[in-house]
Amino acid sequence: MDVVNPANCKAIAKVPISTRDEINAAVEAAKEAFPGWRRTPPLARARCLLRLRELMEERFEELSRIQTMEHGKTIDESRGETRRGIENVEVAAGIPSLMMGYNLEDIAAGIDEYLIRQPLGVFGIIGPYNFPFMVPLWFAPYAVATGNCIVLKPSSEDPISQVKIVELAEEAGIPPGVWNLVNGGRTVVSGMLDHPGIKGVCFVGSTAVGRDVVYKRCGETGKSVISQTGAKNFLLVMPDAKFERTIAACMTSFYGNTGQRCLSGANLIIVGEGLKEHESNAFYRKVADGFVAAASKIRVGYGLDESIQMGPLRDESKKKSVIGFIEKGIEEGATLKLDGRDVKLVGDWPHKCFLNPSAFEDVTPDMTIGKEEIFGPVASIMRAGSLDEAIQMIHSNPYGNAASIFTSNGKWAREFQYRTQCGNIGINIGIAAPMAFFPFSGMKDSFFGTLHGQGQEAVRFFTESKVVIQRWF
Amino acid sequence: MSDQVTCSAIVSFAQRLEEASSKFYEELAGKYAEGRETFLVFARECIKNKVLVTRTYQETISDALEACFIQMDLSNYPSEIALNEGQSYQVALEAAIKLEENAGRFYSDAAEQSKSLLATIPRAFKRAAERRNGRRARLKTILDKSK
Repeated sequence: MDVVNPANCKAIAKVPISTRDEINAAVEAAKEAFPGWRRTPPLARARCLLRLRELMEERFEELSRIQTMEHGKTIDESRGETRRGIENVEVAAGIPSLMMGYNLEDIAAGIDEYLIRQPLGVFGIIGPYNFPFMVPLWFAPYAVATGNCIVLKPSSEDPISQVKIVELAEEAGIPPGVWNLVNGGRTVVSGMLDHPGIKGVCFVGSTAVGRDVVYKRCGETGKSVISQTGAKNFLLVMPDAKFERTIAACMTSFYGNTGQRCLSGANLIIVGEGLKEHESNAFYRKVADGFVAAASKIRVGYGLDESIQMGPLRDESKKKSVIGFIEKGIEEGATLKLDGRDVKLVGDWPHKCFLNPSAFEDVTPDMTIGKEEIFGPVASIMRAGSLDEAIQMIHSNPYGNAASIFTSNGKWAREFQYRTQCGNIGINIGIAAPMAFFPFSGMKDSFFGTLHGQGQEAVRFFTESKVVIQRWF
Repeated sequence: MSDQVTCSAIVSFAQRLEEASSKFYEELAGKYAEGRETFLVFARECIKNKVLVTRTYQETISDALEACFIQMDLSNYPSEIALNEGQSYQVALEAAIKLEENAGRFYSDAAEQSKSLLATIPRAFKRAAERRNGRRARLKTILDKSK
């Protein structure tokens, strides 16, 4: 299968599709490597990760350029992704501390009790196309650091950066069989979900697959699961928000990574809390016009050009899907204020996968573009009379991945943080992306499972707790 | 009128600026024995500045920090200075002072524009600006003494 650079539409690599036998071989290799890797002291495992980190730093630019070429994102976005991936390796390298249990002496006369965390065996990791480098690293370094072995399947659309990581892992001294890679699509995913040798699965992708296939099948086969899925994220702008910085943050939130991000802003709610009608109208116009004006200036083109602010969608089918949503928005009565279908590029590139930013006004939460995940550079601008009404609008949506509020009012911010049913909350932050030492949360139709990727929760996911009660006669 | 530029465009500009400056000072060191030591130190410092800015950028860029768009017109900071054959030491020093002024202004503006990002980014630009401004003052002193 060809890996195609969506900016110039040229094939840059060929990816093999793993067979069922190859998946079995990968799992067998992992199972075989597990006893030895598990017995490797955590400090020695951590040193492997520190070497991997160094290799990633050395290849920082190369790894970033690969992401731009295989996915289409801008080079700044790729460098950001590389950094976020490396940070997970850094955090996981703290495993001698992170994996420690706890104890209490004299729970009864002469009896002590303690908890130890032990690895489980082989884990499957299924990565998405939108962050081909970073997302698998929300899981893989923690799995390996805790003494497990992994079988990782990157997206078949942009698998090259994961191939590079496996090469670097080998160079870093991680033994054969510990960090395995298979390629492919649904058949490979099914093979991993059904395999009795895999103890748990980490998945990031659509809600349809994450809930109805991965989560369900893991339940049926007795696997632990982290399934992080779709999103429809709301950004609220309150009357006291810092205007210019809010608009700037909105641009990267709605149009960063060409909108193909589960933390992307999707619905912008301009909230007229405490304003009289004419003030509310004026405030709405100021924010909506400011948003559209800024969006119209975004430079679209090939992400390797450092002046570019937005790249193409990953492929033509995704562009068609986004266009379908735009057409649906028009059909359902929303006003298209900025039409990204009229493609204007910096540079002479085929238009096949490109769209410019789009923005709708007069969107209501029940419209298709107001409630479904578009996963592209389309903003839906809405109005609410109060913070309470805006929170109700968020809650009427089935997703609960992220939400942000822009305000200078601590009371409103706290109220928003307290009540909003979303896993990742931003206060004057456009993209509420948790750092590696915090879990990447999610609620409702955006997350299925109990523990999340990254940080301490990942360590808990990849280990089981064993409690020892001890008495010596 | 300022343009909206990406963070990486700013960093790349800084890299080019430091490389061009380093080359310029190496050239001066070869031509003017009286300022050789100072010029060689300046050339080395340029590489340090380049490493400082690049490392800071690579270590802090993250989508959590919202890869920034900065309002700057990079053509306001000319960095290519050509020396003519037979140019006097004083003229060369004046050219160097001009270069330091432009570079110092660039870094100060970049520090101001990136204030909303993680503190390490404007701090690195500020540090580079301080170095450049310090050098400009030093070059002025040398120029005054040479007259």
